[in-house]
Amino acid sequence: MAMEMRLPVPRKPVSESLGRETKKHLVVPGDTITTDTGFMRGHGTYMGEEKLIASVAGPVERVNKLICVKALKTRYNGEVGDIVVGRITEVQQKRWKVETNSRLDSVLLLSSMNLPGGELRRRSAEDELAMRGFLQEGDLISAEVQAVFSDGAVSLHTRSLKYGKLGQGVLVQVPPSLVKRQKTHFHDLPCGASVILGNNGFIWIYPTPEHKEEDAGGFIANLEPVSLADREVISRLRNCIVSLVTQRMLLYDTSILYCYEASLPHQIKDILKPEVMEEIVMETRQRLLEQEG
Amino acid sequence: MKETPLSNCERRFLLRAIEEKKRLDGRQTYDYRNIKITFGTDYGCCIVELGKTRVLGQVSCELVSPKLNRATEGILFFNLELSQMAAPAFEPGRQSDLLVKLNRLLERCLRNSKCIDTESLCVVAGEKVWQIRVDLHLLNHDGNIIDAASIAAIVALCHFRRPDVSVQGDEVTLYTPEERDPVPLSIHHMPICVSFAFFQQGTYLLVDPNEREERVMDGLLVIAMNKHREICTIQSSGGIMLLKDQVLRCSKIAGVKVMEITELIQKALENDQKVRKEGGKFGFAESIANQRITAFKMEKAPIDTSDVEEKAEEIISEAEPPSEVVSKPVLWTPGTAQIGEGIENSWGDLEDSEKEDDDEGGSDEAIILDSIKMDTGVGISNIGSQDAPIVLSDSEEEEMIILEPDKNPKKIRTQTISATQEKAPSKKSVKKRKKKRATN
Repeated sequence: MAMEMRLPVPRKPVSESLGRETKKHLVVPGDTITTDTGFMRGHGTYMGEEKLIASVAGPVERVNKLICVKALKTRYNGEVGDIVVGRITEVQQKRWKVETNSRLDSVLLLSSMNLPGGELRRRSAEDELAMRGFLQEGDLISAEVQAVFSDGAVSLHTRSLKYGKLGQGVLVQVPPSLVKRQKTHFHDLPCGASVILGNNGFIWIYPTPEHKEEDAGGFIANLEPVSLADREVISRLRNCIVSLVTQRMLLYDTSILYCYEASLPHQIKDILKPEVMEEIVMETRQRLLEQEG
Repeated sequence: MKETPLSNCERRFLLRAIEEKKRLDGRQTYDYRNIKITFGTDYGCCIVELGKTRVLGQVSCELVSPKLNRATEGILFFNLELSQMAAPAFEPGRQSDLLVKLNRLLERCLRNSKCIDTESLCVVAGEKVWQIRVDLHLLNHDGNIIDAASIAAIVALCHFRRPDVSVQGDEVTLYTPEERDPVPLSIHHMPICVSFAFFQQGTYLLVDPNEREERVMDGLLVIAMNKHREICTIQSSGGIMLLKDQVLRCSKIAGVKVMEITELIQKALENDQKVRKEGGKFGFAESIANQRITAFKMEKAPIDTSDVEEKAEEIISEAEPPSEVVSKPVLWTPGTAQIGEGIENSWGDLEDSEKEDDDEGGSDEAIILDSIKMDTGVGISNIGSQDAPIVLSDSEEEEMIILEPDKNPKKIRTQTISATQEKAPSKKSVKKRKKKRATN
């Protein structure tokens, strides 16, 4: 068994990504954004002593006359249409409470859940009693945000066959601001695994299923043992995602794939070393820049 | 904040480990974590650390009128608070259930057991009695709050000194600490709570569960005992069904543990008493060690190493030989050696090559010193392996600095010194470019 010891080294600041045209105006809580009173104040700011002061830490965004500060590290704020990966925390009457890394637990109503077999009927009392058979405390699900309540709580639905209970895989928790908004969040990566990039910061990596099961509707969890090759791919992906997060890179399928390819010469466990992390993320950045322009 | 739920994998892992008699921190089933007791400058103030769980206890007293139906007895008041810094899940409004349960348990343990003589707290019957108030604050939650809180309460009470009072006829004189030494409370015995966590419907039990173990436990049995093996309080929660012999066994274990903990408490109290009498420094500033952020030290945990040798031999015999052989160091001139070859420059066009060099230099662990305040121009690259002695004689420079990983650089003016470096060069440093430290 190999053992490695290292001494503490001063942490290096995350370098600015190369080639950014304008430097972003970063503020911390308490910083004055502007003394010009002509602006309307948006989220993350407040008015104090004739000045606009920031209340969260992040870059200042300005749209015409509206100034707001987008927080770097927040809990997930739901928007309609987002894909989220969540964990069931409670089974209540006619609904489940799902933990999605937001301020309040999200709600999955029984009526928003697909019945096995894809039936469309009114939920009866027996369905209510059988709720625990579908989803128990501790299960992971993928769902879409249907509505946002006035207090910020999010209501989910799994009314499509691609959503539902998740089987075997690895969950990575990242800050929600690092997940890029895209058209689709379910990706089948060419390296041999599939990934679900939840907008709430929960990323689910799982082995690509051989054939799509259309009828199950996402309830039967596939518990067959996963092959070693698949496991290695999944572990490598997980370490790549962790290294991208430490370097504060946006996560989307291309960046994860490039990072995976950049990490191939290293052993899976070496990816988590600080120097190797910097190296592969720098390479990923370069490739992404080349691809863009 | 709501507590993050435990994932199914973690829960299963913990339960499986407990089934195999393994605990996450390497303890045995009946082992307690390290208990540390420190006292503050005031009498009656103490901090108890049970592993990482920390409880602060403070005792204070006041003269009040007694209760109407107990005119000759003093008043005891216990209060445990779960501070918000103890765990993210503790919020001002949210912790009611747990808080009520802990407070009730503490009260039963300390008040109903009559460990403190309340009659002695009476000053003037029916008019003035002492009200003793014990405030406990949970500073960090890592499992088993009740044990730590009960130890903190009893230690604080034993440590506390109340002002001396004398009654002459109708006159009551209250002496300040300067006039007369304060008087300790009269404590009959020291009840201590011992917690037992049960798993799999009572099949497995653990003493002193930590936070993870508490999350997956089925039920909890708390036995409060003193060193005379008298049970003061017993409480079973969680709805598990325990057999008679299980409860008896737990009480025997509790007896043993309470003896050990009581001894520890006596020793701590004596030490503090001695330090105060001799006029030495006491208080939290002295007793709580400086915890520097760069010194990461784990407390020693007793681990069973009886089968380590066989396992190690097994692994060595089955393992393949190491793939990369580190080449022998080549001694260029006295004081300069080289191991292996540096790899090709793979960066292509370098815009800021100097910055790259500096960065690489900063991240090399073998030689930590950033600011190179060397006077010499000696290029020291990856110095020697365990076998090659380094001969530092005949140097043209006058002063030479040997950089060793842990120690400060020592300036050496002398000649032949053969120093063997203990640290073998890591594989990583072989791959890195050959480093030349030039004076800037």
